[in-house]
Amino acid sequence: MPAKDLAGRKSTKRKQIDAEEIQSAELQSNGVLEMLSDEEEDGDASSDDGHVDEFPEIVNESSSEDSDYDEDDEDEDEEDTEDTEDENANESGADSDDSLHVFPKAKTIISRITKQPKTVYPEIEPNYDSDSSTEDTPNRVGDVPMHWYDDLPHIGYDINGKQVLRPARGDELDKFLATVDDSSAWTSAFDKNTQSDKPLTAEELDIIRRLYTNENPDAGYDPYEPTTEWFTGKGKEEIMPLSGALQPKRRWVPSKWEKQKVMKIVRAIRQGRILPSKPKTTSTSKFDAYAIWSEPSSSVVPPLPAPKPALPTNAESYNPPEEYLPTEEERKAWEALDPEDRERNYLPQKYSTLRLVPAYDRFIKERFFRQLDLYLAPRVQRVKLNIDPNSLIPKLPSPSSLKPFPTYKSLQFSHSNGRARCISVSPDGEWVISGDEGGVVSLWEIMVGREVKRWQFEGKIGALAWCPRSDVSYFAVGLEDKIHLVTPPNVDPAVLSLTQTVLAPTTLPTAPATPSTVKWTTPASATWSIDTPLLTMDLPASSSVPSHFCWHRKGDYLASVSTGGAQSNVWIHQISRRHSQSPFKKIKGAVQSVLFHPLKPHFFVATQQYVRIYNLSEQQLVKTLIPGIKWISSMDVHPSGDHLIVGGYDRKLCWFDLELSEKPYKVLRYHSRAIRSLQFHPAYPLFASSSDDGSIQIFHSRVYNDLMTDPLIVPLKILRGHQITDGLGVLQVKWCSKHPWLVSSGADGSVAVWCS
Amino acid sequence: MSTSTSSVASQPVVFSTRTQYPLPSQKFMIPTSWKRYQLSQLINKALSLEKPVPFDFLVKGELLHTTLNQWCSDNGVGEEETLEIEYIESIMPPQKMSDFPHEDWVSSVSCQIQGHFLTASYDGQIRAFDYSKNLVSTTMAHTAPITSLCVVSSDESTHTVASSSQDLTAQITQIHLDASTSSKVLASLHLHTSTVSSISSNNAGTNLLTSSWDGLIGFWDTNIPAADEVPEPVLNERDRKKRRRIENSTSTRRKVPLLVLKSHIGRVSKALFAREDGKAASCGFDSTVRLWNTEYGVCEHTISAAEKPFLDLALTPDGHSALAVSTDRTMTLFDLRASPTHLAAAAASFAHAATPSCVVVCETNSHQAVTGAYDGVVRVWDVRSTKGAVATFRAWEGKQKVLSVDWRRGIVGVGGEGGLEVWKVGEEVA
Repeated sequence: MPAKDLAGRKSTKRKQIDAEEIQSAELQSNGVLEMLSDEEEDGDASSDDGHVDEFPEIVNESSSEDSDYDEDDEDEDEEDTEDTEDENANESGADSDDSLHVFPKAKTIISRITKQPKTVYPEIEPNYDSDSSTEDTPNRVGDVPMHWYDDLPHIGYDINGKQVLRPARGDELDKFLATVDDSSAWTSAFDKNTQSDKPLTAEELDIIRRLYTNENPDAGYDPYEPTTEWFTGKGKEEIMPLSGALQPKRRWVPSKWEKQKVMKIVRAIRQGRILPSKPKTTSTSKFDAYAIWSEPSSSVVPPLPAPKPALPTNAESYNPPEEYLPTEEERKAWEALDPEDRERNYLPQKYSTLRLVPAYDRFIKERFFRQLDLYLAPRVQRVKLNIDPNSLIPKLPSPSSLKPFPTYKSLQFSHSNGRARCISVSPDGEWVISGDEGGVVSLWEIMVGREVKRWQFEGKIGALAWCPRSDVSYFAVGLEDKIHLVTPPNVDPAVLSLTQTVLAPTTLPTAPATPSTVKWTTPASATWSIDTPLLTMDLPASSSVPSHFCWHRKGDYLASVSTGGAQSNVWIHQISRRHSQSPFKKIKGAVQSVLFHPLKPHFFVATQQYVRIYNLSEQQLVKTLIPGIKWISSMDVHPSGDHLIVGGYDRKLCWFDLELSEKPYKVLRYHSRAIRSLQFHPAYPLFASSSDDGSIQIFHSRVYNDLMTDPLIVPLKILRGHQITDGLGVLQVKWCSKHPWLVSSGADGSVAVWCS
Repeated sequence: MSTSTSSVASQPVVFSTRTQYPLPSQKFMIPTSWKRYQLSQLINKALSLEKPVPFDFLVKGELLHTTLNQWCSDNGVGEEETLEIEYIESIMPPQKMSDFPHEDWVSSVSCQIQGHFLTASYDGQIRAFDYSKNLVSTTMAHTAPITSLCVVSSDESTHTVASSSQDLTAQITQIHLDASTSSKVLASLHLHTSTVSSISSNNAGTNLLTSSWDGLIGFWDTNIPAADEVPEPVLNERDRKKRRRIENSTSTRRKVPLLVLKSHIGRVSKALFAREDGKAASCGFDSTVRLWNTEYGVCEHTISAAEKPFLDLALTPDGHSALAVSTDRTMTLFDLRASPTHLAAAAASFAHAATPSCVVVCETNSHQAVTGAYDGVVRVWDVRSTKGAVATFRAWEGKQKVLSVDWRRGIVGVGGEGGLEVWKVGEEVA
């Protein structure tokens, strides 16, 4: 930078400073002029000298004032008033220390010589007034304990040796009144020397205040005054060497070690060990700073504390109270239990002293189990679902609102020989036929239970079914290899004659084109009696006892199923044509049960695991239902034809909605043993299931026409009363068609009627 | 009375009765330790009856078995409350008089003929016994089980008896109780196409009512026509032979009903005449009790109950109320005097432990009835005591079904599975 330019600028600046000093102070911070700061400082020192030179002038002024005391006093008073004004301002304006001047006020002025700010203190006037020691204190006893004068009327002596009398001091009331009346009373302090209250001066009060607020008592002291930078900063560098010695060679020879280090890095860069232009990731710092409370607490639960062992109780004491000690029976009961089943793993024992307590024999074991607990205890906090278990139970109507249904056993009919396998209730609901394994078929009234007629056949009775026609009256009896059609006694003559013409027409229908293996025989009309069947069908020799009959609703077709036979055990017999046919040439699996659809020409066939629905008119399979039962025992179709229940030997009961899926709509497992029989009530919304556990269960089953509403199934009643014989319970249940009454036959040979 | 000593706890009591022994209405302070016996003595003394009459006491429809104190504490009645106690003539404990074993079940029993019992059995025979347990007469009336029996008219030793059977007919039979002459079937009643469930005659013995499972009620007279009113059914060869055999043995006239009462849906279990002429009542499995006018053959009133298939019906002698037993194990009391709109409401219901099969009302006291049930227990009821039976006894040790009861002159004949048993219940009225 050229020095002349600088000098020219400086001269122009000086002129400006003369005009406005503040602007120069601002400009001083400007970096342009700082090259000459050293010189200015020197000049500043010289200006100080100049100031010293000016000192005698002030002295002269003071000497001139010296002659007149009054003026000085006035000045002091003025100063005092100023001070009090300042103090008032300070009190009102809170906190500026600078505005408070209890001590001689220091002024910052711009030196005329150096043009730098400097602090100027007011001169101390070295006259008598200026020294406190020259004050006229009346009491001249000196620094002696003032209690020496406690008993005396005076408090000391003045300069003339005269007693200074004790000033009058008011009592406490006067003091209080003084605090009330005189506003300066609370700022006065007791002066021992004069034994009177002296008001504190403003300076003293300010000192007290400063001490009180832990500040420096000196008001002029500024703890935060700016540091003066002498050697740092721009333009103040040491550019001149401190010594004249030559610089060593290494100062200008390139460093060998630096070169080696740089080359090492260069090699590393070349080999790719260091990526020079690697993007700086923000997460390089080890810890990310974050605000702890800025976000809500996370859902992650804090780790669980380890499970705590149970605290010892009174019973575990070495000297428990008597009531904790086990009695002999309790001890035996405890010992008889398995260790896992015990409520607690110790027996309380009593020792008279702690000294007698033996070593703890279960210590290792207990530690081991404790470790196992700690190791195996799941430390996962399970989210506990707060679900009222009662709310999970579906809302079902109460059974009492679904009356009527069978509730009690009205009467019981007994078969003396063997199990009552099969029963059938007449279509008018008045008569019951029941067959047992001894070949006896009994006809009895449903309401009285008196046997009216008995037929004796040879062999087991496998199935019974009353023809559903109301204008004729006969029933089918299934025996081994034979199906008999029998008429009951005491029927109306018109019904009887029609039955006879149906079963044994005078002109036999023409034989079908394909002869069947089933032979239909009717005894000669002369030999007809009430004890013998009117019509007999001889099944093929290899087939066994028919276990299931099903009439078509019109009463012309009878389907029979015989289980255990060699082949083709399903037959459909047509009474009017006296013809039997086997609808299935070959069926996978053994057929358990068959059913006619109540409305459509459909035919249900239940094998061991599947239920197949065939369309008889179109001769094709419609649907296959998969109940998921290992072995189907029975099934029944709802009178509406849209619902099917299937029961199995594996205790399951499946409800199918035939409109819906091939899987069950509902699977009920209420029985504890195999389900034997099922039936829907033809008129009431009821169905019953019987089981080998000896019980019959009654369900309410309301089916809605509305396709959107699911069927309502409500368990209503468990009927018990049949004895379990040889592991078999209730073998068949049948409903009375007109009343909510149930007829059940059991393996104990009893047939019971359950009434509502 | 009210100034009784305060040391004994006492209860204010007001007595009321519907018997012929009324007390003036007055409040009594009764010591609470009193039982039935003391109360009965009190009433006897208060009325100063010459012959002591034992009374039973009903507190709020419940028979008092314990002390008053006990009853009050059980039912939470305070000492200050005034109890209303109704007293009724008590029924002596029933005593078994004799039993008459039968070979088959007895479906119906009648005690109407003095000194004799008539039983109808499932083997189709009508038997007559005298009081000394002798079998006086046996009549093979039906080939099928007889379901019901009634006495139509009585002479010295010749009685006309009507019986209904499962062979779809009812018969009028003349029975001679002196063993010399045999009984004779006078006429057979042909209407029904199903089992005839009951038959009953009016008091004069001029008309009969039959009810059947086919839902029809037949109204007949008892005149024996000179010739068959119904032709023989067209029979095939086999039946004709059989029928001819029967015809040869008897000279039975075939009768037709005067009226057919047709309103029941389903089985009619009982039809009987009311006390006033031209009225009848019936009950059926369609849960209705119907009141008929037999002159016009119309149903006058129908009392419908919900799901109560009625098995038997009895009308009280005063004609005010009907008692019907149903398969829901209750006996229901219907007040027939009520307006037709209120007929459906049952006045009271009496619960049984098993199916009650038969009911009969005392012929002198309208408040007493006897029911027999399938558990073999015969219960004696007072319709004012709804909470429980007044007395019970077990026929045949309570193992066999009771199918029929009849109560005349203080004697209850119980017919059922075990034959006939005769018990003495209540006062014997001459």
